Amino acid sequence: MKRHEFLPNTPFIKLLTKGVASVLKTSAFHLGEVKKMRVRPPEQERYRRPARPYDIPEYQEGMRCGARDEKYLSATLYCDPCDPRIVAMAHKLGAFQVTDLEFAKRAHDLAKNQMIVEYVPFDTAGDTLERGTGTCFHLANTMVALCRAAGIKARYKVFAMNMIAVWYDKMLGADSFMQKWYDSLGYFLIEAEVQVFVDGDWMDAVVGPDDGWQATMGDSLSKLGETSLEDWFEAIPGTVMLRESIPYGLPILGRLMITLAPGSVERVSCNVKRMSQDGYKLIEEMGGREAYDSMTRAKRVKRPMVNVEKSSRITFD
Amino acid sequence: MDFAEYIRKFDAHTAKYIPNRADWTPSDHAVYGPSDYFRMDPKEANDLRYKAVRYQLDRHFKSNRTYRTYCEELKFDPASIRASDDLDKVPVVSTDFFKTYPTGRDFALWLANVYTGELPKIHIKSKEPTHDEVIKSFNDAGMAVAYSSGTSGRHTFIPRDMKAFFSNEYALSKGALTMFYPRWGPDMHSFLLMPNPFKTNLFAGRLGTVMYDIMKDVEVALDREVNTETVRQSMIKGDTLVGKITKYVVSRTTQKSIDRIVDWIGQRSKDGSRIALVGVPFMLHYVLNELKEKGKSYDIGDRTMILTGGGWKAHENERIPEERFRKDVEELLGVRPEHCLDMYGMVEGNGWMLQCPEGHYFHIPTTYLHPMVLDDEGNNIGYGKYGRFAFLDGSMNAYPGFIVTNDKVKMLEHCPHCDRPGPVLESAITRIPGKEVRGCGEEMRKMMAADVGGD
Repeated sequence: MKRHEFLPNTPFIKLLTKGVASVLKTSAFHLGEVKKMRVRPPEQERYRRPARPYDIPEYQEGMRCGARDEKYLSATLYCDPCDPRIVAMAHKLGAFQVTDLEFAKRAHDLAKNQMIVEYVPFDTAGDTLERGTGTCFHLANTMVALCRAAGIKARYKVFAMNMIAVWYDKMLGADSFMQKWYDSLGYFLIEAEVQVFVDGDWMDAVVGPDDGWQATMGDSLSKLGETSLEDWFEAIPGTVMLRESIPYGLPILGRLMITLAPGSVERVSCNVKRMSQDGYKLIEEMGGREAYDSMTRAKRVKRPMVNVEKSSRITFD
Repeated sequence: MDFAEYIRKFDAHTAKYIPNRADWTPSDHAVYGPSDYFRMDPKEANDLRYKAVRYQLDRHFKSNRTYRTYCEELKFDPASIRASDDLDKVPVVSTDFFKTYPTGRDFALWLANVYTGELPKIHIKSKEPTHDEVIKSFNDAGMAVAYSSGTSGRHTFIPRDMKAFFSNEYALSKGALTMFYPRWGPDMHSFLLMPNPFKTNLFAGRLGTVMYDIMKDVEVALDREVNTETVRQSMIKGDTLVGKITKYVVSRTTQKSIDRIVDWIGQRSKDGSRIALVGVPFMLHYVLNELKEKGKSYDIGDRTMILTGGGWKAHENERIPEERFRKDVEELLGVRPEHCLDMYGMVEGNGWMLQCPEGHYFHIPTTYLHPMVLDDEGNNIGYGKYGRFAFLDGSMNAYPGFIVTNDKVKMLEHCPHCDRPGPVLESAITRIPGKEVRGCGEEMRKMMAADVGGD
């Protein structure tokens, strides 16, 4: 269990404990407001899951599964690379036929752009692939399983993020309860990305927001090798965790959110679906993915990267 | 006293800040040479600025690997800068970059890799040092690392050395005293509405050390150590016990400071001395409110100068209207608006924009600062349009001071109210809306916060 990192590590436990305590405390003192998260007014748009845009081929006897008992290649919690659905899809994506880089790109595109963000209880990578939807953790988990099935090492990159002050001031500044609630949620609404080991390097992969969602924000379309942490997220220091497995306890958090706030959860799913659809329209209007992406990348303000190298002028005890 | 004599007197009091003239670099010429940053002939100012920026660009490109790699990625060659008109091509670094530091030992190495040149020998007595411990070690070795208050939840850390810090303090005080001419004199008594500059590395606080060299005596609003942890706790939005205690202590301390300032103004009004009130507007705003509550007012306008800086947010969501503030200052202290000026600057640069007494527009010290207003695509849109403020700081030797900020400004070619020839910024400076945070967790958090907020 320990070797596969099933047990949550200290930063994760801290986030979990602080988050649960903070949410329970805030909820207890503001029951009236919290009830609003459970409400689904009759006029509210109901979420309808879109049809899955891909087929999962039939599993054939003899299809090879590249997972083995080796760090970042084995089956872990909720991630069984040798699940027949995962293996069949991995072969459809070119497992053992194309280069690792090409496979990782295809798996990334599937998880990012063909699967859809929907707030559902946590389940296995095979189930997520079959449903075609899930949170960023579900999608990351599916990509990790596909890569391991293809014999490519893959792991989870998990972090809690800092709030951007402008948004905080604009949206929450006037309401102290909203601030408290937002801060409480921040402890454990954490984000997940994927890292795949290709040609001797770990490459980042963002799978949460799809191209459409990113386009509605006016952003470039993230590719394999890019992380949100250099762009729109800022992780709370000390919370970036690279994990072999989804830890015990994480699925409970998801269930807690859905139980506590079914109204909010449905509204978010509707919202994400709408943003994605609007974004894809925008991409089309701007001449397609490549045209849109090169235009937005030209506008991006780049940042220098600091290579933290040792300095002979600094000594430590 | 004529202006030349006024500045000679100032230079005599700030002699320790000024490098030996024989060793002046183009940057030193741009900072220490002009007697008035804001009245210099534009051609001369352009020449000084170009030489200063050009000098620093070559230095940073040659000696700062982080900046050189960045330039190379952008396919920028410093040789392409041949004249003042080319300066807009120099790659700028976002202020956000200075918030992307690691923790522990790596933080020290991050500072070292952002710094241009050779550091002094630095010894850090901890295996896993905090930010404060790292800064203290750097500064004990002769550096002047400082940080911003971190309103966005994350401090900005800047690795200045003493030369860069002196240059900053000198430029700030010279620019300010120029605008207050002929009001300043070394016999002035001052109240610094800030923490003790010798007990903090908070940039805005530490800048006050120059006051001790140009004023007769200096009182401070907060005479105790202020470190990153103190700042963090005082700004925390959560409900932890430590946060509550800190906030309580801060509010008690603030009230005590206000009482002290009110008493001090009362004493100065009796002894007839010339005075300067310098610091954050909210502190003086509280002082004015206290005077209103107590029904007190003074008439010290003929011998007082007031310099504010640091933004107009009073507390949480309360913003101080600038004109109302100046009106209150006039009604309660007798200080006319032309003697109550604000300044605009930031931890990431040495450039200080000072309001003119005539129109309260921010004048740009163009002898060493190349200002730009950028559109969304990073093009300089020049005068008369709102955009993102950016600058090339020709005085900055410690790190590449070629910066693009998150501040939304409008720059005018000349001040509409005074005859100083250089460009100005309108005083209404706001923040550019940041990038939306997105991701499935963040989306959920926003929706739930909006739901409970009763949207």
